[in-house]
Amino acid sequence: MSKSGGEEPRIGVFVCHCGTNIAGVVDVKEVAEYAKTLPNVVYATDYVYMCSDPGQELIKQAIKEHNLNRIVVAACSPRLHELTFRRTVSEAGLNPFLFEQANIREQNSWVHMDNPEEATRKAKDLVRMAVAKARLLEPLEPKEVPVEPAVLVIGGGIAGIQASLDLANKGIRVYLVEKEPSIGGNMIRLDKTFPTLDCSACILTPKMVDVSRHPNITLYAYSEVVEVDGYIGNFDVKILKKPRYVREDRCTGCGKCAEVCPVTVPNEFDLGLGPRKAIYIPFPQAVPAVYTIDMDHCIKCGLCVKACGELEAIDFDQKPEEVNVKVGTIIVATGFELFDARQKPEYGYGIYQNVITSLQFERLVNASGPTGGQIVRPSDGKPPKSVAILLCVGSRDQKALPYCSRICCMYSLKHAHQIKEKIPDAEVYILYMDIRSFGKGYEEFYNRVQHEGVKLIRGRASEIWEDPETKNLIVRAEDTFLGKPVELEVEMVILATGVIPNPATEPIRKALFITQSPDGFLLEAHPKLNPMSTTVDGIYLAGMCQGPKDIPDTVAQASAAASAASIPILQGKIVIEPIVANVDENLCGGCGICESVCPYGAVTVEEVGGKRKARVNEAKCKGCGSCGAACPSGAITVLHFKDDQILAQVDALLTG
Amino acid sequence: MPNRYPGIELATRIVMKNLGIELVDMEGASCCPAPGAFGPADLFTWRVLGARNLSIAEKKGVDVLTVCNGCYKTLYEVNQDLKSDPELRERVNEVLRPLGYEYNGTIRVRHIAEYLHRDYGVEKLRGAVKKPLEGIKVAVHYGCHLMRPKLRRELGDSERPHLLEDIIEATGAECVEYKDMMICCGAGGGVRSYDLALSLTLTHTKIKNATEAGADCMVNVCPFCHLQLDRGQAELKEQWGVYYGLPILHYSQLLGLAMGIPPKMLGFEAHYVPVDSFLEKLKGII
Amino acid sequence: MSSEQDFKPLVVAFCCNWCSYAGADLAGTSRIQYPPNVRIIRVMCSGRVDPQFILRAFEKGADGVLVAGCHPGDCHYLKGNLYARRRVILLKRLLETIGIEPERLRLEWISASEGGKLAEVIHSFVKELEKLGPNPLKEVVK
Repeated sequence: MSKSGGEEPRIGVFVCHCGTNIAGVVDVKEVAEYAKTLPNVVYATDYVYMCSDPGQELIKQAIKEHNLNRIVVAACSPRLHELTFRRTVSEAGLNPFLFEQANIREQNSWVHMDNPEEATRKAKDLVRMAVAKARLLEPLEPKEVPVEPAVLVIGGGIAGIQASLDLANKGIRVYLVEKEPSIGGNMIRLDKTFPTLDCSACILTPKMVDVSRHPNITLYAYSEVVEVDGYIGNFDVKILKKPRYVREDRCTGCGKCAEVCPVTVPNEFDLGLGPRKAIYIPFPQAVPAVYTIDMDHCIKCGLCVKACGELEAIDFDQKPEEVNVKVGTIIVATGFELFDARQKPEYGYGIYQNVITSLQFERLVNASGPTGGQIVRPSDGKPPKSVAILLCVGSRDQKALPYCSRICCMYSLKHAHQIKEKIPDAEVYILYMDIRSFGKGYEEFYNRVQHEGVKLIRGRASEIWEDPETKNLIVRAEDTFLGKPVELEVEMVILATGVIPNPATEPIRKALFITQSPDGFLLEAHPKLNPMSTTVDGIYLAGMCQGPKDIPDTVAQASAAASAASIPILQGKIVIEPIVANVDENLCGGCGICESVCPYGAVTVEEVGGKRKARVNEAKCKGCGSCGAACPSGAITVLHFKDDQILAQVDALLTG
Repeated sequence: MPNRYPGIELATRIVMKNLGIELVDMEGASCCPAPGAFGPADLFTWRVLGARNLSIAEKKGVDVLTVCNGCYKTLYEVNQDLKSDPELRERVNEVLRPLGYEYNGTIRVRHIAEYLHRDYGVEKLRGAVKKPLEGIKVAVHYGCHLMRPKLRRELGDSERPHLLEDIIEATGAECVEYKDMMICCGAGGGVRSYDLALSLTLTHTKIKNATEAGADCMVNVCPFCHLQLDRGQAELKEQWGVYYGLPILHYSQLLGLAMGIPPKMLGFEAHYVPVDSFLEKLKGII
Repeated sequence: MSSEQDFKPLVVAFCCNWCSYAGADLAGTSRIQYPPNVRIIRVMCSGRVDPQFILRAFEKGADGVLVAGCHPGDCHYLKGNLYARRRVILLKRLLETIGIEPERLRLEWISASEGGKLAEVIHSFVKELEKLGPNPLKEVVK
């Protein structure tokens, strides 16, 4: 067996108590004593917190005193502290890859809490396996690679806008990609924002304009990210610019084309409540202020071409355009969609005209919306004198979304306030299970709305039906405070629909190889300490794509993501783990199986001195080891996860 | 096959024969047993008895067909539970084996409405109708256990379903919407035995709303709902002094009429609410 | 039959770093309890699992081997998990011919968020192995 550097392994084993997290279940002293009996172990001890400063100092001292050249720490998961301890051994003069960690917390003491005897036995096994691997560890040299000083931001809602501006203001180049014709996301649809009631457009449009004017931001609106290749520091991104059939460099946004366009269709931006033309901008403050032709509805009459005149901005022959950019890091900010209220047919959305969703209400109450801010009910265009707002439509529902959508309580209180403001004599009911007013100033806003005369009924509505003559709606619920069923006849119902992950996120998720949590939102690297990163280095998260959150939380996370994404760029270079494939040319027969299984084209078979041999391009190799598993002669393997190192663990477990 | 309302059994046998579907009798089968009364009292015994019935059908190698929502709930859910939990299946079989039965999870449990809708097919059903019941207005009664709980069925939405409407409209009849269509008939869960007055309140709401919506009859797919909606009207007359006289039909009976089977063979004489006036209305059709 | 009662199967699990090993960590963080019969070996990808690792484990007396990777389409390395799937399917046939029940080898997809699934898999695998009894090679090796 190879003993790196030819020196006899002198292994030190350090068993962590992690307070009582490990020591409360596992007999750590016994494990340390046991470690001393293992071959090549010259020193073993236990300590209350190995990751603490004194714990790390203990390791460094032992390395010097006992001339240790391999270190095993039995503690938490290596996913948590492998880097910490690699640094420790490196500070003591050892190569950082001469370290191995045994996971006796997440995969032992925490999952066998009621079985200390077996857990102690398992800890000994895991230490024995780690020692067996440590014996065969080889020193490796980490490589440094330069970082492309640019960031890709996917999604142009408030999260993407905030992140882009933060990065651009630091002097970093940003490519912002938005799939819709304009940036602004869902926030630009909103009227007022809770709890301060400042106007959403008033606070967002200046930022949108900043994005379009910032010299460091390149905006690709009406575009999609189709392919991402590479790794932290060096991502190659392929962006597809969809044809607008209007040239961005020529359109001034004057709108003469839309004036003459004869085709009128429902505007998606207004959720179908208002009209737009076949040539359109989704809303007046759109950024970029460039018109788009909806080819599904355009009849190619050519009136717009005439109206555009000398600008000649309209180009029916425009084709999709591919753009390639190189970036060092990526921020995903792809936002959310609303739960489809049709999936709760008992509430009659899509069946009864006067049942609308909250986002539709936002458009109704918005001064720039289809009714100019007048609250009217769809069936007769009259202001409703009574409105019921139903909370948790889709959310907190075992038959739909198990989670809380976190924004509905507050926006619904805001809606109640807005109805009272515009139609003072209207009766407004809110049917709720719990009111979750957890943010700064939120509970105070809740109190204010209660005092405005809004009636809050604790009970989830069970069903709604329509009086066919009046088009009024009868809402049935149980008032759980009174312990009685109630029936309310109202003129309009607003469904506070929950939020779901944006379906458009899925292809991006797959292209980036980032994971999702069971609820479908993107998974963060750590729920508490790293909520803005993914488990893939160099890819960060901002906003609703990671989970339901309100605007302040979204902005905070976006700035955090921008900060995290700028770190590798400001450092200028990053260290790449030297865990890559490696060929023993003496054993390689040049069969080429490795070449055929490598997903990255990192292995090629070349002529070397008249013989065919596999060669690894270390810059392309990501260390998965598929080649190693496929190689019939054991010639190609992955450093730090070599065949003999893994087999040593198997042998140590089963023959110990 | 339920013992109440032998007419429903008769109608079902004739209708299925005419549709070309062979029914195999399960000799030795017992009560399903009833989900509302037995399930909550002793879950394990309920499952054992259900599994015994299922094992009889298994031995014959055929799926179980029920014409009753209660039987459907019991047998469907027991089948589901035992199929997915080998440990539970073993415990149940430990009781059954000495009696000469064994549950293996080889068959499916079907409700006649769901079977006709999904397997036989609505189009084919329309083809089997010889006398389309045009002009007849039907109030639909699903009954609680057919579609609910939604998460334990594979029948789609339970709040605004269209399964029964589809197969009723295949007979040529028209379904009328009425208020509180999805509420309980009033019988289930032991309510009828425990609190008859409460149970009649529900029945009354249902019958009243359907009558006001202009229904000529109410169609159900469950003999216990059938009993409550039918006999309940007699009880309402006795105890409350209100009488609606809304004829109550099991789907098998309605389909039988549409297939041109003589009313005499569909077991209407066992009903509390006479169906004569209804049959009168059909005179020009059948 | 009492020896069957005492029999505690030993499972060697190869878990990919990105999904299944992280899922196992999550089971710990969430304190989801499962039988202590499993020893996890971390590999970067389920595609790294060389059939010889599995054969060696059986040869040395493991009662079961679990290979766990990311769900299809989610592999951190594009398709390593699909390679693992092919290898496991073929290896099961080989195991049968050398007298090892193919049920002793399992392949499971466990994502980083599926701590509960990892625990379930170990529960059911251990239960199945208890029924199968000890690895038949153990006797031969002795």
